[in-house]
Amino acid sequence: MTMDRLEATQVVVELAGDHPIIGGVGNSTFDLVAFDRPRNFYMWNSMGMASSIGLGLALARPDLRVIVLDGDGSILMNLSSLATEVTAGALNLVHVIWDNGGWEITGGQPAGSPFGVDLEAVARGCGFRRTATVHHVGAFRQVIDDAMNDSESWVIVGKVAAGDSPHRPSKNCVALRDRFLSALNG
Amino acid sequence: MATHFSIKRSGRHQAVDAPAWAATILAAFRNEDIRNLVFLPDTVMGRLLALAEAQEDDFFRLIGVHREEEAVGILSGLFMGGQRGAMLVQSSGLGNTLNALGSLAMAYRIPFPMLVSLRGELGEFNPAQLHMGRAVPGCLDALTIQHVTLRSEDHLGTILEGALKTCYTQEEPFGVLLSAQLTGWKPEK
Repeated sequence: MTMDRLEATQVVVELAGDHPIIGGVGNSTFDLVAFDRPRNFYMWNSMGMASSIGLGLALARPDLRVIVLDGDGSILMNLSSLATEVTAGALNLVHVIWDNGGWEITGGQPAGSPFGVDLEAVARGCGFRRTATVHHVGAFRQVIDDAMNDSESWVIVGKVAAGDSPHRPSKNCVALRDRFLSALNG
Repeated sequence: MATHFSIKRSGRHQAVDAPAWAATILAAFRNEDIRNLVFLPDTVMGRLLALAEAQEDDFFRLIGVHREEEAVGILSGLFMGGQRGAMLVQSSGLGNTLNALGSLAMAYRIPFPMLVSLRGELGEFNPAQLHMGRAVPGCLDALTIQHVTLRSEDHLGTILEGALKTCYTQEEPFGVLLSAQLTGWKPEK
């Protein structure tokens, strides 16, 4: 059983309130564009970097819950960032990993979970105490709600169906940066 | 998860052993409100980190990464959250940052100084350090990232002040390369 990624993304945006959301490379960002808001950050091509951007923002702004929408392929490229999220002491990250079992945008080549890689177990091994793997959008809504109202960081693996997103952000990276900056810093 | 806040991040290095150049660099960072030191240590940077961590006002925050590319993302997030930081890595580690520098820091124009201790130039004993070390200026040139190489204590404060000012004016990373002529090389043959 899997979720529709666009529907699950909508749940995240609904429960985010005024808290920022970092979109990872490809479909993680593209689906987020469908629910555009100034506190969304759209990353174009830095595969693996969404989790690190989220960590930096979380350390700069402990007053916020910082949401990261990552892909399974992306976090597999930057697994060390899961350890860094713990060792840096960030307590305000809500790190969502969409697990569709592969590199979707390049043609659905399998990676990670089809071969037995358990990303929630990786997160727990890195020291996260708040983790979940979710297959249904109802349960996903509850977990996101719990994570947004907690005082610790979370890693949430969302099992989603394969499929490309038709949405795209602006290709003006500096404009994307400036909008996010001013939304966060007035 | 909260217990490790008290862990000393700079390891066995002692602030009293920190060389003059390290104090000059930290003073320049302080003048520009650069508080976050995002690092993957080598022995050169270790002495600077010890001095930073020993500051009585806790001005600096040490953020250790486990692969240097992470530092580009973290510094981008810090910047968008309103805080300045610097990257502290060895030349070998700069090689791990290149796509993130191009696709994130340059494309989105994220300013931060990159302190890079150079292996492979003067006094190198390790053949595996030669090629990436020598490639650092060329890699930065290819990405059109400005850089200076610090070789002596002379004018160090002035050069650093100028590098940091330019970095934030152009809103791009700026390479500050530390030659072994300044930092010393290992006695190993």
